[in-house]
Amino acid sequence: MFVITCPHCCEAREEEEFHYEGEAFIARPVDPEAESDEAWGDYLFTKKNPKGWHWEMWNHATGCRKILVLKRNTANHIIAGSWTLSDARKEYDNERATA
Amino acid sequence: MAKSLSNIELNLNQFSPIAQSALQHFNLSARQEKVSFEKGVWANETPPAGYIRLRGNAQNPVFLAATQAALGAHIPCLACTSIKTEFGSLYWLSIDEWLIVTSVESRATLQAKLEQSLTGIHSLVADQSGGMTTIKVLGKHAADALSHCTVYDLHALNMGKVVGTSFGKLSVFLCADHDGYRLLFRRSFADYIWRYLERAAEPYGFAIANLS
Repeated sequence: MFVITCPHCCEAREEEEFHYEGEAFIARPVDPEAESDEAWGDYLFTKKNPKGWHWEMWNHATGCRKILVLKRNTANHIIAGSWTLSDARKEYDNERATA
Repeated sequence: MAKSLSNIELNLNQFSPIAQSALQHFNLSARQEKVSFEKGVWANETPPAGYIRLRGNAQNPVFLAATQAALGAHIPCLACTSIKTEFGSLYWLSIDEWLIVTSVESRATLQAKLEQSLTGIHSLVADQSGGMTTIKVLGKHAADALSHCTVYDLHALNMGKVVGTSFGKLSVFLCADHDGYRLLFRRSFADYIWRYLERAAEPYGFAIANLS
């Protein structure tokens, strides 16, 4: 069981209160109609599934029902942090810029 | 034929819906007792109340001013807090969502005041009186019994704090009062939650409290 800190409720809560919402920051194509079937299928179904650090969205389903972003290590389940979507975006972009 | 039709019309005219407790099939009012130290856990459904769901942008000063004008109190913007006001209670549910609990009689006036005050401001005011109910849990083992039902750490639940958490497989808003706990949840959850609570509380000695 994870203990996840909800950035909206500002409190650490049990995993049971949350629902996994998949990989974070997958950009939706600006014009879906113009996309090829491959590109659209890629957007819908291709996920990173790494062994190691993973940026993912969770929904605080029984609490504030808002989306939050976790950076979690899929190999050892260490959680590096949790942010609101906009705050996480900055962290994510910073990390990619420095990598 | 004509006669029976007119009978139906007559019955429809006489139809006046009455709010019925979500737990009326347990006949709680007939089984309630005066709260004493003999039992570890006491619980009962609180009398019917008016529930108003309020949504809006807490970052918007115009929204905050409008709600303050209608309610005569600042809505709690700090996470997981609630306040008591002259009309009832105000609960923080989410960053853009609040629950107002008031008496059945004052619900309509308060809602009208809110709606009028929030005209033209991006917000939502909805009457949820028919869809929500509250259970009050008291007694020296109230926390022990609730620990079997929810994953929330009840030691972290200070007075006045309200948290959205799980209850068995469902979700409730759990609030600590000066004398016990308050569970606010959807009416359709009532049967499940009551049976779950009763089962969890039984080893500690359970009875139905007379809250009046």
